[in-house]
Amino acid sequence: MLAPVREVALYLAAGVVYVAIGVAFPEFLFAWIVAVGFLLVSVVVLPALVSHFRQ
Amino acid sequence: MSWAAHDLEPYVIQKELGKRIAFVPLLIGSYAPDLLSKWFVYGVADLKADNPAQFHRGWPGAGFTHSLVFGVLIGLLLYALWRNKVVAYSFVIGQWAHALTDTGDTVGTMLLFPFSDHLFTVGAWAYAGQTGRYVDAGAYFSGLGFVWDGLFVVWGILSWRVLTRGYFRTTVMAADPFWRWAGRYLSETTLVALYRASFFYGVARWTAWLIWAHVVRSFAFDLRWGGPRWVPRIYARDLNAATGCRCPGCCSMRPRLGFYGAVAVCAWTKGLIASGSGRRGHARDRPRAMSSGGQPRPRSGARTPWRKSRRRPADPRAGPPG
Repeated sequence: MLAPVREVALYLAAGVVYVAIGVAFPEFLFAWIVAVGFLLVSVVVLPALVSHFRQ
Repeated sequence: MSWAAHDLEPYVIQKELGKRIAFVPLLIGSYAPDLLSKWFVYGVADLKADNPAQFHRGWPGAGFTHSLVFGVLIGLLLYALWRNKVVAYSFVIGQWAHALTDTGDTVGTMLLFPFSDHLFTVGAWAYAGQTGRYVDAGAYFSGLGFVWDGLFVVWGILSWRVLTRGYFRTTVMAADPFWRWAGRYLSETTLVALYRASFFYGVARWTAWLIWAHVVRSFAFDLRWGGPRWVPRIYARDLNAATGCRCPGCCSMRPRLGFYGAVAVCAWTKGLIASGSGRRGHARDRPRAMSSGGQPRPRSGARTPWRKSRRRPADPRAGPPG
């Protein structure tokens, strides 16, 4: 039960950060590939790094 | 043009068609008409079209990418390469969705090209691609364009079930050969993130542009038909040979009526899908919840042995409680 909630929270947090960066620097919003890279870093790479360093 | 609808339409279509559609070609089809032409409309460095609207939607120009025939031709090419009709028609559906959505602005699209260079337009929001990316964004998010995209944002969020990991595993991966191939190299978490990326992009970008246009900058809202009126906009009659067009559409078309008609046809089609095999397919495709033992939980109302066995008949010899 906790895992899906944690996953949704992670995506929401990534969305909030993406919107904040996009509002401050609109150039950031134009490229689809930038959004994909940002999402992968936020919800795959960073959580993997965090769990790696916790162990 | 639309700023978020093309990102979100594939998820809505995915929800309706389930295993009968392949997501990646659907998404590529949804982006295809603008994939190679949009950068030249806004310009990169000194490279920019002399007449951006004519280049984007007209002929001569790259407007043929917004025609229905273009989608069919690329679909046939995909079929010749892969021999997979689901991949081919998924691309066609995505490309058609894009071409039809773009009829919403004041320029419209040449849906019937090469048989006609007539631009079909509903004219609900202003086409202002020639003003540059930022003014275009400000205009789009001040007129009915952002309302149209907002409908897809809401519709996409209501279709949240297609974003779940279970749905991805049981429906999206099963229908699309790309994910099975990618699954050999990437983890499921990465695949799911890639699958959700365009949804994330569409919703986040819609939110960010809306805030940027009305909080950071002060573009004025103008939700009148064909607005906003403060931006210099291009009309279909300014392009191609449409000025002298005498077709029944140009002579007697009432764009607002056409728009309502299109919405009615969409609703009717959705009703047909829901009442036909689509609803049954959708229920079947829906991932089943897992019980704590790792077994699929039975659907509500289903008869199960354990439920029977736990019911004990009342003992007539037992006295009153207490």
